[in-house]
Amino acid sequence: MNLLEVKGVSFAYAQNSVLENITFHMGAGEVFCLIGPNGSGKTTLLDCIMGILPLKQGNIFLNGNNIIGLKAKQIAQIVSYVPQIHKKTFPYTVEEIVLMGRASHIGMFNSPNNNDILIAQEAIESVGITHLLKRPYTELSGGEGQLVMIARALAQKPKIMILDEPTTYLDFQNSLIILDIIRKLIKKKNLSVMLATHYLNHAFYFENNGLSTLTAILNQKNFVVLGRPSEILTRQNIDKFFNIESRIIEYNSDEKKKQKYIIPIRLLKKEGKDVV
Amino acid sequence: MRKGHTVSDFKRKSFILFLIISMTFIGIFGSLFIGRYPLTWSDIIKVLSTAINPLQKKTYPDIYNTIIWKIRLPRAILGAMVGGSLAISGAAFQGLFRNPLVSSGILGVSSGASFGAVLAIILYGQNYMVYFFAFGFALLAVIMSFFIGQIYHSTPTVTLVLGGVIVSSIFSALVSFAKFVADPFEKLPSITFWLMGSLATAQYKDIIFSIIPISVGVIGLVALRWQINILSMGDKEAQALGIDNLLTKIIMVIFASLATAGAISVCGNVGWVGLVMPHIGRMLLGNDNRILIPASFFLGSFFMIVVDNLSRSLIGSEIPLGILTALIGGPFFVYLLKKTKGKGW
Repeated sequence: MNLLEVKGVSFAYAQNSVLENITFHMGAGEVFCLIGPNGSGKTTLLDCIMGILPLKQGNIFLNGNNIIGLKAKQIAQIVSYVPQIHKKTFPYTVEEIVLMGRASHIGMFNSPNNNDILIAQEAIESVGITHLLKRPYTELSGGEGQLVMIARALAQKPKIMILDEPTTYLDFQNSLIILDIIRKLIKKKNLSVMLATHYLNHAFYFENNGLSTLTAILNQKNFVVLGRPSEILTRQNIDKFFNIESRIIEYNSDEKKKQKYIIPIRLLKKEGKDVV
Repeated sequence: MRKGHTVSDFKRKSFILFLIISMTFIGIFGSLFIGRYPLTWSDIIKVLSTAINPLQKKTYPDIYNTIIWKIRLPRAILGAMVGGSLAISGAAFQGLFRNPLVSSGILGVSSGASFGAVLAIILYGQNYMVYFFAFGFALLAVIMSFFIGQIYHSTPTVTLVLGGVIVSSIFSALVSFAKFVADPFEKLPSITFWLMGSLATAQYKDIIFSIIPISVGVIGLVALRWQINILSMGDKEAQALGIDNLLTKIIMVIFASLATAGAISVCGNVGWVGLVMPHIGRMLLGNDNRILIPASFFLGSFFMIVVDNLSRSLIGSEIPLGILTALIGGPFFVYLLKKTKGKGW
C-alpha cells in the first residue's frame, strides 16, 4: 500500500481549471519534487493533498484512506505542512510555535501536556535551533524562521512532510542547511517528503544523496513528465518545457560517485514566440 | 541550564499571574472602603468583623450593612466580572482575527447591545427589559456579522470583520436615530448615560442576570485558550495543523460573544478595556494564550474595579465609566508602551 496515492485528480477555481487528471504515488522514505513555473498550480496540488481544497474529480488516498472521509485532525496526523510564506502576527516564542505542531494530537478543550512539550523540544533539537527556544520567532532571520516551521511540522509526527518552496527567500548557505536537514530527516525517520520548488537542482540534490527520488514537471494543468530526476531532467526536456538552453554537468565527489547538476545557459527563442 | 531557564521563566510568569489575581481580590476588598457615604474605616471593620463572627454584637446602624453588603460589594463584584469578560473576549478576538487592534466589540456586540438598550429605554423606560434587549441585540448583531461573513467563502476571517463593521455601523445609525426621536427630557438622559457605561445601579440581581452568560463564556474561552494560538496562525496553517477551523471559530465566537454581551448588558457601553487589557497582558506575560487568556480576565477585572472606584469618588457625581476607561487607560497604556518599547506584539 502506498503512503500517498493521487488518482486522476482535477481541480478548478470556479470555472477556471487548474489541475487536470493528475496521478502519482509515493511510499515511505521517498522524495517527490514537484517542479513547475510560477502559477502552474504547485501550491494548489499541495492544498488538495492536505484536504484544504475540495477536488473536482479524482481521489487522494493517505495510507489507503480516501481523504474525503478524513477529518482535518486525521489528515494532520499523517501529513504536515511547511508553508512558503508564513505571515507572522504575534511574537510567540520558538517553543510556543513548535508546540502548535501537536494540535492534531490534542483535544479541542485541552492544552499540551509535558509529553507534548518534550516532543516539541526534541523537534527543535533535531533541526539544531535549541539555542533559539525562548526567542520570539518574529525576530529570527529567514533561514532560522524556516527551521522553526520545519520543527513545527516535525512535532506533528507526520509520515509525509509537505514543503512549499522551502528555500525561495534564502541565500545559498541557508538553502543548503534546509536541504541538508530535510535529507537527514528522510534518512533518520523514514519520512516521506513532497516539495514544490522552482529549482531543478533540488531534485538532483536528493538523488545525488542516494534517496529514492521522483520528480514531476507540472505545466499546463498536468504533469508533462514524471520519473527519476536523471531520467527526465535532460537537456531536451529543459529545452522543451522551460525554453532554456542548459547543460547537465556530472562530477565525482570524494564520498559519493556520480553527482549531477544542471546549469541554465540562456533563454531560447521559439518560432513565432518571443520570450521577452 | 536550559531546563533551568525554562523553569524560572515559568515561575516568573506564574508569579506575575498570581499577583494579578491577588490584586483583583484586594481590589474588591478595597472597594468596600471607598464611597460617598461617610463611613470611617473603623465602622467598616466593625461591619466586616460582625459578618465573620455572628456572635459579636451589632453596634452600628443598619444603613452600614446596606452600604457595605448591598451597594459596595455587589458593585465591586460586578465590576470585576464585567471588566474581566470584556478583556478576555478582547484577547480571544485578537488571536482569532490575528490582529492586535481588535477588541471585544469587533463583531458588533457593543453596538448591538447599545441599540437594544436604547430601544428598551424608549419602549419601557429604565427597567429590567434593558438587560434582555441589550443582551438579545448583542447576540443578534454577532449572528448577523457571522452570516454576512459567510457570504464570501474565500477568506472567512476578513469577511467576518467586514460583517462586524457593517453590522456595527447599522446599529450605530439606529442608535443615533433612536436618540434623535427620543423624548429629550425623560428618555434621552438615561440613554446617554447608558451609552457611556456605568455600574452605579449595580445590585445582586445584575450579578444573577449576567453570571450565566459570563461564566459560560469565560470558562469556555479558558478551555479553548490554546486553540486560539493555533487559529492565530491563519486558516490554512491551522487546518494543516489539524484544526477544524469553522467549528472552532464558531464555538469561540459564541463564548466570546456570550461573555461580552453578558457584561455590556449590565454595565453599558464601556470601551477600551477589551482592546488594551490584553495588550498589557502581552507585555507582562507574552503572547501564549494559555497564560494570556486567564491573565487578561484578571487584568480587566482589576482595571474595572479601580476605574469604578475613581468614577464614584473623584467628583461630586458619578463619572461614566466609558469616559474614565479611556482617560485613565490611554495614558497608562502609553506609559507601558514606553517602558516595554512595544515588546509583546
